Amino acid sequence: MNRRFDRRTFLRSALALPAAPLLGHGSRCHWAPRGDDRVLLVLELAGGNDGLATVIPVDDPAYAKARPALSAVRRGSHAIVDGLALHPSLARLALRCGNGGAAAVLGVGMEKPDRSHFRSRDLWHTGDPTFVRRQHDTTGWLGRAADVLAAGGAGMPAASIGALEVPLLLSARSVTVPTFERAEDFALGVVPGVAASERQAGLAALVGERLGDGPLGYAAATAAAAAKTAMELEQALRGYRSEVTYPDTALGRDLQLAARMVIAGFGTRLFHVVHGGFDTHARQLPTHAGLLAQVDAALAAFWQDLSAHAAAGRTAVLVFSEFGRRVAENASQGTDHGAAAPVFVLGEGLRGVVFGERPDLGDLEDGDVKATTDYRLVFGELLRWLGVDGKSVLGGEFAGPHVFA
Amino acid sequence: MNELLAPWQPTRDDPFDLQKVGHLFRRAGFGTSLRHRQELVREGLDAALAAVDPPSASVPGADAMLGDVLAFGDRARVTAHRVWLALESAHPLREKVSIFWHGHFATSDAKVQDPRVMAGQLATFDRLGLLRFDELAQAMARDPALLVWLDNQLNKKGAPNENFARELFELFTLGRGAYTEQDIREAARAFSGWHVRDGQFFFARFLHDDGDKQVLGRRGALTGDDVVAAAVTQPASAPFLAAKWLRAFVHPEPTSAEIEAMAACYLANERHVGATLRTLLRSRLFFSPRAYRTKIKSPAEFAIGTVRLLGARAVAADLARAMATFGEAWLMPPTVEGWHGERAWLSGASWLLRSNWAAELFAGQRGKLQPTAASLLERFRGPEDKVKAALLLLLDGECSDESRARLLAFARSPAAQGAGGDAALLHATVGLPEYQLS
Repeated sequence: MNRRFDRRTFLRSALALPAAPLLGHGSRCHWAPRGDDRVLLVLELAGGNDGLATVIPVDDPAYAKARPALSAVRRGSHAIVDGLALHPSLARLALRCGNGGAAAVLGVGMEKPDRSHFRSRDLWHTGDPTFVRRQHDTTGWLGRAADVLAAGGAGMPAASIGALEVPLLLSARSVTVPTFERAEDFALGVVPGVAASERQAGLAALVGERLGDGPLGYAAATAAAAAKTAMELEQALRGYRSEVTYPDTALGRDLQLAARMVIAGFGTRLFHVVHGGFDTHARQLPTHAGLLAQVDAALAAFWQDLSAHAAAGRTAVLVFSEFGRRVAENASQGTDHGAAAPVFVLGEGLRGVVFGERPDLGDLEDGDVKATTDYRLVFGELLRWLGVDGKSVLGGEFAGPHVFA
Repeated sequence: MNELLAPWQPTRDDPFDLQKVGHLFRRAGFGTSLRHRQELVREGLDAALAAVDPPSASVPGADAMLGDVLAFGDRARVTAHRVWLALESAHPLREKVSIFWHGHFATSDAKVQDPRVMAGQLATFDRLGLLRFDELAQAMARDPALLVWLDNQLNKKGAPNENFARELFELFTLGRGAYTEQDIREAARAFSGWHVRDGQFFFARFLHDDGDKQVLGRRGALTGDDVVAAAVTQPASAPFLAAKWLRAFVHPEPTSAEIEAMAACYLANERHVGATLRTLLRSRLFFSPRAYRTKIKSPAEFAIGTVRLLGARAVAADLARAMATFGEAWLMPPTVEGWHGERAWLSGASWLLRSNWAAELFAGQRGKLQPTAASLLERFRGPEDKVKAALLLLLDGECSDESRARLLAFARSPAAQGAGGDAALLHATVGLPEYQLS
């Protein structure tokens, strides 16, 4: 059993292609890599994205057999390596794969997967495959990373964008992670009337620090810091100019807000964005194509924006879903809840296009793709890149596929 | 009667005034309007206690409205209905105590996925929350939402699931260290077969383990009811609950003397929660400086309280959404441990969100706030009078000299002039550190 998660398996199977020559990244020359301003955005495809229709084993006869109707998705797909192609909607992502800007890690999951959306999401969010929802110290792995970063002085190390509630993923022990739906939420809002700047200045002057470490002193210090931060952020965001047109979707708006914060250099280093609707039990082809097209368009705009502002080199994205879907299609031209699936890692100068073992459709577990890469290994690799001690966050050594140089 | 919990008697030096009434309504309710507070100061302590805890009270049409809400059955409506009840506050103490129990037996619809069943649990808090704790605990052991939340559906004879038993001891009745792992294992067997079917409690006889068990010193073919009875009568239970009530109603860090007094009061009242809390709410301890403004307002206390202090009307669904963004989504506590409260409620970001929400509320951008913020201060002339009025409306007429000076500076500055000037002054008052405190 352990063999499946053996680190060497990775290294052997990683198609460690040399990064293709980078075109149109002149800004990189000016960017001096600094570990302390790297940013990770985690994009969650909620509902269970069909991994086999995302990174498609186009030549596998077992695929066509298991999916008489749904294997039509192969038409118009984009080859990334021999025998594997991305969904037809993912043209721009496939292009990134070709120039070292994106990679797929295959067969990512856990030893005892769960087909419940909620339980599986909890397992992904906590990074704890044995998690049960009764523990008191319920934190997410990204939240724990935020705790580490906050200890280093970052004021707002993490933010959840678009969600109404802080997701378990970002629940932290010492840091309160804000959720934001709109850019205006960052500004120090005032009652409209006279010049907003007068009222903002008035408010900021109102909440100066007080003496004492009691609740009043705490509230005063917190409010003073917040007012100051908000005005600084607004100032920073005001400088944001972009030629990039984001798609007019919720995901596009969420990613643009994240990009603005990254470009502003505000110091928030961990972001979580959710894109839902992937629970495709019926008539999967059109629904899934539409959802992935939104992902493709929004990510492309996000990256174009970051590149134009010399911020792409310090940004990485993880795209995951709580589970993949059953290998065999169901009777409603859809798929049911499954297990292991590929995740995408986006960055710059990645060491390969595909990591991990290709799913063996002849060797399933209860009709599902077996996990060949422990999901924590991927987290470990991202934390390594961020410069955060993965051991303290994940509770063990998870040296993952060497995606980043 | 212990000195701490002896009834507080107003004196000339320590009178029953706006601060006392404001404190009582913040802790035992969600605040109330200045007019009501002034009225109660005149009528005295007993009248104020009766106002937070009237003998019988309901909002006209509440049941019919709940029927409508449940017909839709969606989470947002059920949550908004709860916020509406708190806004109306026909029985402030009951609304407050039900939310206290919601955080104590913290059940989340994230997993239950059935807002109707969640509404049923909240109704149980309304019905039993101020009666005997042992009865409430028995009811919770049969509560469909809680049983689903804690996986008791999986608890079967021969394959026990310990989740419910563990939380019953650790979080609901005893606290850590007052039971053994063996107690949990045996107690889990007693709850085997306590399942849910069609949103109702269902005793699955053939999945229930009726063999001999030993739990917390009791022995025999114990049932779930026997286990609950054993837990609530353990010596550790009274101080555990006492500390929790003190943290909720008095001070975030109660002393052992306070806990002892409160536990003794609870036992003397035969585990009657209502009688215990009523003693607390008229006690010297409750009206002491140790309690006054020593807690951080919860998002609900902030959002609902702001509307109620102004004697205004607002849209419940909007308040529910605002509370959720501040970190308190009713029906969705983050874990079975409930909300952590106190300083965890107030980060820089949540202060900002609170402040921005208040700016929109006072500017009339969040539905119709009635009366409008502007009309509340318009009859006052000059910055001094306006500041005085704002402090009376929102802060018992009392705050630190420094805050008063800064607020006065704001009132004199261009920020408080022109269109929206009065609303801006109210907004500034809500941003004061004192206003973040309960």
